[in-house]
Amino acid sequence: MASLRQRNEKAFSYLYDNYSSALYGIVNAIVVDKEIANDVLQNVFVNIWKKIESYDASKGRLFTWMLNIARNASIDEIRSKGFKDSQKNQSLSENVDIAGSTSPAIDDVGLKKVLTKLKGDLRVLVDMSYFQGFTHEEISKALNIPLGTVKTRIRSALIQLRTMIQ
Amino acid sequence: MTIEEYISSGIVEGYVLGLASDEERNEFEKMCKQHPEVLAARTAFEIALEKQAMENAVAPPSFLKNKILSGLNFSSENTIAPAKVISLPAAVPAKNLSWLKYAAAACLILLAGSIYLNISLSNKNKDLQNTYNNSVAELNEVKKGMEIPSNPNVKMAAMNGMDISPKSFATVYWDTASHDVYLLANNLPAPPTDKQYQLWALLDGKPIDLGMLNYDLKQKKLLVRMKNAQDAQAFAITLEKKNRANVAVPEGDMYVMGKL
Repeated sequence: MASLRQRNEKAFSYLYDNYSSALYGIVNAIVVDKEIANDVLQNVFVNIWKKIESYDASKGRLFTWMLNIARNASIDEIRSKGFKDSQKNQSLSENVDIAGSTSPAIDDVGLKKVLTKLKGDLRVLVDMSYFQGFTHEEISKALNIPLGTVKTRIRSALIQLRTMIQ
Repeated sequence: MTIEEYISSGIVEGYVLGLASDEERNEFEKMCKQHPEVLAARTAFEIALEKQAMENAVAPPSFLKNKILSGLNFSSENTIAPAKVISLPAAVPAKNLSWLKYAAAACLILLAGSIYLNISLSNKNKDLQNTYNNSVAELNEVKKGMEIPSNPNVKMAAMNGMDISPKSFATVYWDTASHDVYLLANNLPAPPTDKQYQLWALLDGKPIDLGMLNYDLKQKKLLVRMKNAQDAQAFAITLEKKNRANVAVPEGDMYVMGKL
């Protein structure tokens, strides 16, 4: 950890060798497009490198911290204007789940595979909040469900997720 | 809410996955410090999540590692105390030396490129400076020429073509104060190679030599300064043989003539 803080090249090389695949998995689950995923993974490591000072071990494991950086970088990308423009040319079906339909047409890898085991409506809620970064308020508006219900259902989905993962 | 209920409320997962609100996060971090079982639940879920992510890892393309790592500004070499490197130069690993070699080569290439660029820019600059100086000189010449006709002391004689060359036309500007004479050859046919034009002042019917006209010069300058004329009633141009004995006497044909 100390050598990471000193931004030692070997330490980062080690970090990359051990965690890039896991982080690439989460990036791919969110941005889908491989080319963009490559750019996002680069951003992820730039962010890890920049923010390593602010990592606080008392608040969680290093991997959890990196996973959240990967998720945030991916969501930033899909919410960027450039990404939205690039998606305009693609078929509508891929974007249907963003609008809140019942069956996300996504590659079922990693966490997403776990998601498929959730009940339909819970799956949509977790997909929107975790993989697309919508706030509870945004989900409430988009799906026309009361905010309290969104929160309760996401809680319930998270509880189920826990048992599925463990 | 008991601790057990709190742990199983979904807050652990929400916190770890980054879905908790700021308020929930602050509360959860407090709870982790106060209740070891909350911290244990968090760590357990983190490990499970990590394991799950590792099992579902997707290897990025191999070229990406170099691209990403080379994009980071490592301070790696700085971790070696500088004094150590200086006092023990022989102990510098060979790897670092080869790196230095490449760096030196790169510096030389950059230096050569820079020198080349400097020289070519300097040459270009000189060319531009010359062009600029010439332009300024020409402009001053033109300005000076333009000032002459507007001087109130200057009189003008428009010399029209004679029968021998009716289309010929030239203008003389004569400064009555300074006696300077300027010639503007508006339209004169190119002379044969063995001949040249000569300007005359006419006073009481007598011609006074005001000099030969360099025909090439006329192409370049608007106004050509000729010999001074103390007094004149009219001006004329004749076409004379080159190198004749007495230039004070006109021998050739008169091309243009005009009174003041």
